Amino acid sequence: MRYIFASIIQTDTSQSAQPVTIDSSSIWHHMSDALYQSLYRVLSLLIAILPGILAFFVALVVFTVVGMIISALLRRGLTWVKFDNRLTRYQVSTEWTPTHSPTELVARASFWGCVLLGLVIGVSAFDASYATGTTLPLTLLPYLTHAVGAILLLVAGNLIARFLARTVLIGAVNAQLHYARFLALGVKWLVLVVTAAMILDHLQIGGHVVELAFGILFGGIVLTLALAVGLGSRDLVSRSLESRAERTSERGVTPPPTGTTGASDKIRHF
Amino acid sequence: MMATANSIPDVTPSSAPAAVELLVMVASMPPNQLETLLSRLSETFATDRMLIAVPDAPADTHPTLRIIATPATKASWTLTAADFANSAELARKNDARAILMLGPEAASLTSTSLHDLANAILSSNTDLAIPLYQLPPYAGLVNSAILYPLTRALFAQSVRFPLAIDLGLSVRMAERLAAAANRFVALHQGDAIIWPVDEASTAGYSIHEVEVGPRTLPHPVEFDLNAILALVAGSLFADIDIKAAFWQRARPLTSARTPIPQPPMTEAAADIAPMLDSFRLAYTNLREIWSLVLPPNSLLGLKRLSSTDAAAFRMPDNLWARIVFDFLLAYRLRTINRGHLLGALTPLYLAWVASHINITASGTNSEHHIEAVAAAFEADKPYLVSRWRWPDRFNP
Repeated sequence: MRYIFASIIQTDTSQSAQPVTIDSSSIWHHMSDALYQSLYRVLSLLIAILPGILAFFVALVVFTVVGMIISALLRRGLTWVKFDNRLTRYQVSTEWTPTHSPTELVARASFWGCVLLGLVIGVSAFDASYATGTTLPLTLLPYLTHAVGAILLLVAGNLIARFLARTVLIGAVNAQLHYARFLALGVKWLVLVVTAAMILDHLQIGGHVVELAFGILFGGIVLTLALAVGLGSRDLVSRSLESRAERTSERGVTPPPTGTTGASDKIRHF
Repeated sequence: MMATANSIPDVTPSSAPAAVELLVMVASMPPNQLETLLSRLSETFATDRMLIAVPDAPADTHPTLRIIATPATKASWTLTAADFANSAELARKNDARAILMLGPEAASLTSTSLHDLANAILSSNTDLAIPLYQLPPYAGLVNSAILYPLTRALFAQSVRFPLAIDLGLSVRMAERLAAAANRFVALHQGDAIIWPVDEASTAGYSIHEVEVGPRTLPHPVEFDLNAILALVAGSLFADIDIKAAFWQRARPLTSARTPIPQPPMTEAAADIAPMLDSFRLAYTNLREIWSLVLPPNSLLGLKRLSSTDAAAFRMPDNLWARIVFDFLLAYRLRTINRGHLLGALTPLYLAWVASHINITASGTNSEHHIEAVAAAFEADKPYLVSRWRWPDRFNP
């Protein structure tokens, strides 16, 4: 009896254990297969992209180093030939007065030119590697190439905004406009808004929404400035025009240049 | 104003002329003024040894004078690079011994003044005869505030009007100035400003200051003070930059000058309120830009000034000297765009003018104050030289 029961239990156990053992190994097998395939795909993609990434960084590093060498050589060479002094002596235009010396500008321009060239070549290498590699879509690539242009736009926009804001501020202060800072701020934001719109357009983000938003924002800023200047300084403008007209009628058709800015006629600056 | 560099016609007098001793270059001026000037010249100098070059030759009203016409160029209130280039070329062609350059409104100069200017070159070894004008107290203020003190401190020349519009030149001085001018003329910048005193100092030529009495100064063509101040100060700063190797060597002043005697002030002082408004507005708005150029001490001084009443408004001489030197350094170092830099100088200059008017109104002789300002520039020259040589050690 005991043997029979034991055999039944054993049989049951063996009968019930048999399918469980078979199912578990099958699932694990499938799972491991799937995992292996995923891993294979990831590694394949990585292997396909890796040379491109490597090529990108190698190109960037090599051209940066080349840029540093060229920049240093140019700086030394131009200093040796007294390039700044010669250029000052034979200055073509007095209007263009950059913040840095011409030697420094040439050296920096050569360095950043090399870095930019490295970036372009790196991206090209990356692109070529991608094209010959995997068939998976890589939607980030267009953005990567456009991002370089966008960064340049951002830098240029910021520089122009700062330059124009400062120009307007100084000009407005010297013209004794009390809203000089406001005017400069308006100009700065106008340029920054234009820059932002250009960057988004360049990156192909937003589409028509950006154009529309830009038009509204730009128009809004211009209208605000026009209203602020027109309404806020109406008296100032009319007084200025009246005094100018009076001077013109008193002294002839064209006002003589006294060289004074609102001060008494007794003062002669030159 | 006078003539372009390459457009001077050949002089072919009818009869065999005597050698030209004096070449007189006359600026463009109205016919009545030109007539007066020609009469004075004919009274003052031997006409057979003088050649007069005028842009618009008058009708034959002075048959005894040898006059040649030079085509008029762009009108200017001061002598330009084209004028210097032309004068040297004409002097070379006519083998002149001395050149007398007369600017616009030169008819207001007396015969004695004309004689003294020319005679300084003809009868001595002087290379540059420069006039000492007797001007009203509030005239030529840019000259008093910046040009004269800077020239005196850096080039050790006590010439009161470094940008004089009448000059006596020896031939070698004219050649030297023409060499400097031709660089601009070649770049079609014939209206650039040339600094004769700086050139003469650098070349080691002798300079003689001649008292010419009162003179009517021409009005600048440009109406805007900011534009003219930027033009003149920028030109001087650039010239100082080029000649840095010369002026950095310490030199004693060649001769101590006595202030020009001035009649006591009879009329009321000029209104300084607009200038102070301009300065205060600038202090509110341009402080950030000034802080890039000026050290904290100067900014503190300006802060105090901005809250000072109009009646008590006085800019210390050493503060003004330090401001000009720091702007000169910023020009050299290109701390900010040079156009912006010179634009930011205008309100500070107006503050100095307001202070100068207040000081003279309180009884101080105008010339004494200008001499004190020049002395402050001289005293602060070591600061300029140090920062010029080692700018990083003295960053504001």
